Amino acid sequence: MRPKTQFSRAVVTALLLLFSAAFAVPFVWLLSTSLKPIEQTLSLPITFLPRAHYADLDGRRMEVTLDFQVTQAGAVVRLLSGDDAGKLGFMGAAQLAQHADSAVVVHPVAAGSWHVTQRLDRATGEGGPSPLWDVLPRDRIDTHIKFRWENYPRALAALGGDAESDRHRVGFWTFLANSLTVAVLGVIGTVISNAIIAYGFARLRWKGRDAFFALTLATMMVPFPVLMVPLYGVFKAFGLIGTLLPLWLPTWFGSAFNIFLMRQFFRTIPEELSEAARIDGCSEWRIFWRIIIPLSTPVLVVAALFHFIFAWNDFLGPLLYLTRKDTYTLAIALQSYESQNGGVQWHYLMAASAVTILPVIILFLFGQKSFIRGIATTGSKG
Amino acid sequence: MHPAAAAEPVHVVYWEKWVGVEGQAAQAVIDTFNRSQDRIIVDYYATSVPDRKTLVATAGGDPPDIAGLHEQNIATFADAEVLQPLDDFIHREGLTNEEWLSRYYPVYAKICTHGGHIYAGISTPAVEALYWNKTLFREAGLDPDRPPRTLAEFNDYARRLTRHDPKTGRLTQVGFLPQDPGWWPWIFCDWFGGRLVEGNRITFATDPHNVAAYAWMQSFTKEYGLENVKALSSEFGPWASPAAPFFTGKIAMVFQGVWYDNYIRQYKPGLDYGVGPWPENVPGVKDFAMAEADVLTIPRGAKHASEAWEFIKYLNSANPNAQSREELQGAELMDFLQLKNSPLRVWSPYFTNHNPHPHIAMMRLLSASPNATCVPQIGIWQEYYREVISSFDRVRLMDATPEEALAYSQARLDASWTRYRKSLERHGQWAALGETAP
Amino acid sequence: MTRNEKKQFRAGIGFTSLWIVGLAAFTAYPILASLYYSFCDYSILKSPVWIGLENYQQLAQDGLFWKSLRNTLFYAGLSVPLGTIVALGLAVLLNSEVRGKSAYRLLFFMPSIVPIVASSMLWLWIFNGQYGLMNGFLNLFLTPFGLHGPAWLADPAWSKPALVIMSLWGTGNAVVIYLAGLQNVPTELYEAAEIDGASAWQRFVHVTLPSIAPVVAFNGIMALISAMQLFAQAYIMSEGANGNGNASDGNPARSTLFYTIYLFSTAFQDLRMGYASAMAYILFLITAALTWAAARFSRGQYEDAV
Repeated sequence: MRPKTQFSRAVVTALLLLFSAAFAVPFVWLLSTSLKPIEQTLSLPITFLPRAHYADLDGRRMEVTLDFQVTQAGAVVRLLSGDDAGKLGFMGAAQLAQHADSAVVVHPVAAGSWHVTQRLDRATGEGGPSPLWDVLPRDRIDTHIKFRWENYPRALAALGGDAESDRHRVGFWTFLANSLTVAVLGVIGTVISNAIIAYGFARLRWKGRDAFFALTLATMMVPFPVLMVPLYGVFKAFGLIGTLLPLWLPTWFGSAFNIFLMRQFFRTIPEELSEAARIDGCSEWRIFWRIIIPLSTPVLVVAALFHFIFAWNDFLGPLLYLTRKDTYTLAIALQSYESQNGGVQWHYLMAASAVTILPVIILFLFGQKSFIRGIATTGSKG
Repeated sequence: MHPAAAAEPVHVVYWEKWVGVEGQAAQAVIDTFNRSQDRIIVDYYATSVPDRKTLVATAGGDPPDIAGLHEQNIATFADAEVLQPLDDFIHREGLTNEEWLSRYYPVYAKICTHGGHIYAGISTPAVEALYWNKTLFREAGLDPDRPPRTLAEFNDYARRLTRHDPKTGRLTQVGFLPQDPGWWPWIFCDWFGGRLVEGNRITFATDPHNVAAYAWMQSFTKEYGLENVKALSSEFGPWASPAAPFFTGKIAMVFQGVWYDNYIRQYKPGLDYGVGPWPENVPGVKDFAMAEADVLTIPRGAKHASEAWEFIKYLNSANPNAQSREELQGAELMDFLQLKNSPLRVWSPYFTNHNPHPHIAMMRLLSASPNATCVPQIGIWQEYYREVISSFDRVRLMDATPEEALAYSQARLDASWTRYRKSLERHGQWAALGETAP
Repeated sequence: MTRNEKKQFRAGIGFTSLWIVGLAAFTAYPILASLYYSFCDYSILKSPVWIGLENYQQLAQDGLFWKSLRNTLFYAGLSVPLGTIVALGLAVLLNSEVRGKSAYRLLFFMPSIVPIVASSMLWLWIFNGQYGLMNGFLNLFLTPFGLHGPAWLADPAWSKPALVIMSLWGTGNAVVIYLAGLQNVPTELYEAAEIDGASAWQRFVHVTLPSIAPVVAFNGIMALISAMQLFAQAYIMSEGANGNGNASDGNPARSTLFYTIYLFSTAFQDLRMGYASAMAYILFLITAALTWAAARFSRGQYEDAV
């Protein structure tokens, strides 16, 4: 489809820009949230830029959180009686009139003023159990944009739980190492085993080959839940539960998808090369190593990339087969920002997600061409 | 000849869900235990979703020695033979089961048992009470130090604590909303005098008190209007955050657990709140309370079961004469640090009088109350729980009447319970269990 | 077999021996074991007890099973056609002579390689009824009319559409495939059509579509099979929203109770592995039927391969 006119070209570009914006905005939101302090991740109106507010409390300038606006005029008072005598409180005009004798006015408050609280920074210990607060007009509060870069190292430090409470706390580097172990060993296993197996299907003629291959293809449609429970038994029998092996060991024994992928490619290599080598007395293994493999770099690279991305992002496998935290991969460790209480540390989660996405994006940027060629080959040929 | 060298201490692997403050407290108690003797070292591993992981690990032949579960897992896991009964360990101490259980308040003793066996010790107990926002009470002209005492008063207070924006008509504040926190709709069934299981039958829909409870829960949505409630709910932040509705003054009264004071201190220090007993619902039933617990269990196949038992025993005992912080032991030390109540009947002077929990006396009163209840120890509890929640969702979203929602769940649960009993019979377990109603 | 045939056979088996082991241990054994378990009362730590067709009979009467199937078909029925249209549309746009094609392609593809926990939580956040970006954007248009964006994942009527929208973000994979397919359409066909006086639209309908139909059909069926097995996003989002480990009931009101989610909760919460295996087998049958349909439809491709 080639747009012939200026107009249609402009329309196409406009549409592409529109969709690009739609696709890009979630990424931008991810980055934006990762740079906000926690209280601004849950804020209205929606803001993309994180801010810092400063005000004078108790004579000192400090960072505060904007909590809510007061709708009625009133005053900040010190209570004189009752359970909370001696403490500060806020009273609306009506309450003041009623309870004038039980409180002393500290300063009046206009409607529309903001309740601010000294900002708790659990990481540095500021704020403590009884933070200062006040109700101030908006113009007494200074606001500027402030990116919280510290979220990134803190997020990685908090990944897997906080250090004080968990002696056996597993940190970011362990998760990274686990992810790398599973991905790299899986890639090696995928590339080697499937190349060997695909050679058997592609370059040799033997009885039962086609039936076996059809069976192989058929296994591609077995849904994972069918395999899920019995695989526990298989892994248990070999004592693999509690280790990383269930996630990469099976790749050393082939996978239908990659067998199919590589077989496709191997069949495009001219048969004459093999024939000539056979006439020269080469064994099949030598032909495989010396002739076929060197010519197969494209498909091997594609298979490697495919598997790396799959293994790096795999969630279900770790969810099912990893029991010990020190074996967790990054993909599943990201869940540790959901505390058991239902609070989610959004800013940390987004920061850690950004870090987790990064290696894959970098890998993709470098391997883009082979990658896309690989997808196109499998997808478009079926 | 050398005298026998001291054996290497045994490492006991303990999986538990706590992080943060609770996790630190657990580690401190474990350190105390480890220092108090040199045979056993307990290793604490913070584990999320410990129930599923324990199941998988036990099935995979690699279980922890102590699994920190929730009491709601006990029946299911015990029936599935994931857990070892603790009876033998107790008997080796020279105690009968009853003698062991007598250390607890009745409701906690009940929590630890299933099918006539003891499957767990308590790591930390909990009990739920009424929390209210004193500032909002004041604004509404209510006495901030007097919570509602009966159901009628409660409903009245809820009404008076509800505010609408005069311009848009939207809700800006409600007195009470059953979906905050919305984790335990069944407590309201118990509160209304209903029973979830009677004998060996499911009575979710057949007990009229349960229907009444659900109707009461639905009444809030009915009165405020579904769209209004939805709009207000969408403003709620997570319960454990500064944006929680109780903390931001969107909800005036809430039923929460003993841990809540901790979270208030963390996320909304300076909140002006009160803690009190449940209003009287069923006439004559005073001091109703719901009790729960995090429990310690020993999975089957644990490599160091006896050593695991030593730690469980430690955490389920205390020094009854502790006069100072250093003298606190076991359960009291753990509960002191985590700001929870102690499940034991006897409290030491220090724990009673110097407890950091600002409302510990109320918590003790409620947990000791003869009217304290807990969830039924029934193997299909997970399904039952899902039905309770699902019915609650349908009812509060005005998707079904209480009768319809409960009837639907009842039918499912009846079928599940029949199937479950058949399964237990097949495995030869029903005979022993059938005697002991949940 | 002749001596040569025997030699070839040994070589063939030799090269595929790894696969024979893998197939046996990680596929064949589990498939057969699962079938056996589906006829048993099995809770992983107790031995399986044969109960014949009871699991299947219970499934037939299980309201939640049918609900989960309906939820899954609803989701698949929306996300696959919409995803195909969006991907195809984007591919068509990219196929024209625009500048920066590879930059667009990269941008469209990237979401599909984001780790699933990250993307699920991100979208959970975007769909937050009050603080989320989606409503922040929609409300710009709705508030003047006094309307308000829906509560998305907290509203049973909107939770599945929210997941469908999320799935559209990940169609980049298909865009690349369709783009390659479009680029493989021989230009002679276009030229011939132009000579015959066909308009751009007619060229699209009569040249482009038929040429890429096999690709679209095949990928569509594969996408359908994958949509039927939707698990991770729904699981993570309901855990993230509810925060406790007691997720997996597709709340609110079981609107996101998908097939594999129900299977998972049956297996790991109710400890009914036999029942879950029966569910898995039924999914297998449905998937096999769909794959057979795919094979018939894109028969040309398969003959090429085999």
